[in-house]
Amino acid sequence: MGNTSSKIVIVDDNTDYLFTMKTFLTRNGFEVETAHDGQTGIDLIRKEHPDLILLDVMMETTFSGFEVCRQIRNDSELKNIPIIGITGMEDELGLKFDEYDDADYFSPDAFFDKPVDKDALLKKIKDLIV
Amino acid sequence: MSSSNNSGLMDLTFKSIIDALPCYVMIQDLDFNILFANQKLKIDFGDDIIDVSCYSVLKDSHHQCSECPVKETFKDKKVHISEETIHLSDGTVNEMIAYSAPLFDAVGNVTACIKLLVNVGTVKNTHKELVTLGQSIALLSHDIKNILEGLQGGAYVVEAGIKDEDMELSGRGWNIVKKNITEITRITQNILYSAKERKPRRQTVSPVDVGRHTGQLFEEKASSMGIQLLLQLNPKVPRVKLDSTGISRMLGNLIWNSLQACQKNTEKNKHMVCVRVDHYDNYHFMYEVEDNAGGMDKKTRQNLFKEFFSSKGDSGTGLGLMVVERIIRNHHGRIEVLTKPDKGSLFRVIFRLDNKKLDLK
Repeated sequence: MGNTSSKIVIVDDNTDYLFTMKTFLTRNGFEVETAHDGQTGIDLIRKEHPDLILLDVMMETTFSGFEVCRQIRNDSELKNIPIIGITGMEDELGLKFDEYDDADYFSPDAFFDKPVDKDALLKKIKDLIV
Repeated sequence: MSSSNNSGLMDLTFKSIIDALPCYVMIQDLDFNILFANQKLKIDFGDDIIDVSCYSVLKDSHHQCSECPVKETFKDKKVHISEETIHLSDGTVNEMIAYSAPLFDAVGNVTACIKLLVNVGTVKNTHKELVTLGQSIALLSHDIKNILEGLQGGAYVVEAGIKDEDMELSGRGWNIVKKNITEITRITQNILYSAKERKPRRQTVSPVDVGRHTGQLFEEKASSMGIQLLLQLNPKVPRVKLDSTGISRMLGNLIWNSLQACQKNTEKNKHMVCVRVDHYDNYHFMYEVEDNAGGMDKKTRQNLFKEFFSSKGDSGTGLGLMVVERIIRNHHGRIEVLTKPDKGSLFRVIFRLDNKKLDLK
């Protein structure tokens, strides 16, 4: 069971994914807020100052997960919030996100490939939320 | 080879052999003027190309090409290879591989270059098809992974609801599971449909009935998504010869795209998808699928029917519209797309009432 005071913001354009992940994390003791696009996500993160962000990389909304991450990393008040990137594209398109070391581009603390292994995700979240 | 054959071969002149080669062969001087051209080159570019510059003949240009294998060969006396695109006067575009090799005089100076241009268009096309195939598999895998995520997530919510004896929660989870089953079914059907070219099996049917039956398939789905699905069918559209399975698939893909566009659009509270079957004019009828979702920007509109283009992010491969385009083509029809960002989109598919090819201006 996670720390009940820990707050997680999930940003994903798939409303079903938001609901299922919110259900999962809430049942594991986290407080969860969700946003269905990049702009709403940034606004929510600025308002809530969560302990961790779960971010869909390939959103095709106001702006992508890459842009959300860039904005967070460039914001002195938000830049230390752990980010977990979620993607379904890593294997297929040969995108090796962990090879990027340019913090201005995209620098999540961890990546998970869809379908997400929930137990592994939970462990990683607990590791990242100090 | 028999001696008589050998004798026949000896009768062939060097020039006749070069002329028979199914590629362009030319010899160029230091100014890139053509000193010799084989028959194929002359047939495609005219007899009057001798003493004219290569770039003038092949590229219709007054300037040397920026990348020229012949120039490199004159520089270092070595063989060079490059890729060139050649436009013929009849509009044909040929993708060529160009080889240049030095021709030496008695004292070892390069006085001319021989250049061979081989058409590799077929190879290039095969390469493009393989690239498309690779991309398609990658994108389909991505789509399937998202569906797996949805199925697993939905199943988790169902179990959580059962555990908590919360039927409402279980119901929401079950809806997510059902939605993803529908999606995997649709993808599988589209893969099967696009896997091979097929001729439409035409039977005399009512386009209105096809529209009604297809629309009805989506009524429950639209309702569960909170979207109003309207069917506006003109019963006066006469029966015509159609492949009803193909037309239903085409219409279904368009309706599903509109429903998903509505679901994705969070700017509006009420969404509507309207399916119409009506006369277009005296000689044509049309299917229309209109939504009031977010519309499309210019880039999305331009790429709409390109293979495996999708603007749906995590929920689309572009396969559906590819199948739509193929079915319309097989029925000699035409599609019009009217869209405005923030307003919505209208897909209109037009067919002739007598099944002849469209002659719309």
